[in-house]
Amino acid sequence: MRLPAAERRRPGPGDGIIAALVIAAAVVLLLLLRPASGDVLTATVLLDGAQVGQYDLSGVEQSFLLPLEGTAYPVVIELQPGRVRVAESGCPSQDCVHTGWADSPGEQIICLPNRLVISLSGTDHPDFDAVTG
Amino acid sequence: MPASLGRLTRCAVLTALALALSVAEGLVPLTVIFPLPGLRLGLANLVTVYALCRLSGREALLILAARCLLGSLVGGNLTALAFSLTGGLLALGVMAAALRLPGTSLFGVSIAGAAAHNTGQILAALAVLQTQAPLVYLPPLLLCSLVTGAVTGGISTLLVRRVPAAPFERKSL
Repeated sequence: MRLPAAERRRPGPGDGIIAALVIAAAVVLLLLLRPASGDVLTATVLLDGAQVGQYDLSGVEQSFLLPLEGTAYPVVIELQPGRVRVAESGCPSQDCVHTGWADSPGEQIICLPNRLVISLSGTDHPDFDAVTG
Repeated sequence: MPASLGRLTRCAVLTALALALSVAEGLVPLTVIFPLPGLRLGLANLVTVYALCRLSGREALLILAARCLLGSLVGGNLTALAFSLTGGLLALGVMAAALRLPGTSLFGVSIAGAAAHNTGQILAALAVLQTQAPLVYLPPLLLCSLVTGAVTGGISTLLVRRVPAAPFERKSL
């Protein structure tokens, strides 16, 4: 079996096309997923696909720690005015902790071992009624 | 040495190599420098590229499946198995196709493989988390796959060139 790609020494036009396709896919996805911007920043906490809490970050006065219930590994999230992070997690990968602060609409913090998603969204409604769980 | 034993041996050696590479990579995660879940260099993919180029698609598939199964035993959970298999299989399929494109080198093949791997992992994350939230990570991951794919593409060009299939086959052919 002879494969042309295996014998090539230098990148060819096919490589450029592949790279261009990957960039195009990334740009199209970015445009499709562009978040709605707004004055009110809301953090929605999903556990196993179900919403367990929603927090109006613009309305947070001072930093506070919030331990989550029902997760496979213990998780503590920290809310501050306009931003949120996973402060501590007992999960093995620690990706969620390394993600750090999320502070703009469209940002996500995901903890896969816990099936936890914290997503930020922006809305323009100043009379947003904060629902906490 | 009978031909079948030779094949079995080289598959076993490459599986062990792939497993070692993926464990080694896990010890020095790129995500510490650049916090993007799912971001890795994809060193184990080198073995898939090599197997596709120098062995056969069937053997590449066997090596991949064995690596993922053993990897989940070492690393520990079923979710990880689902992730590495969806990513790995998608990458294998895409790279097998890309290898047959005219005017393409292993750089393009590896970039396509890295992008396919990331896409597969995000698809698995969509299924596990049951929200479309993980999609947000796909565009940056795709852009990173240009870099990681180019790095592994460079290494695999050297690997495929310097390590021919012949040492494995000297006795069996």
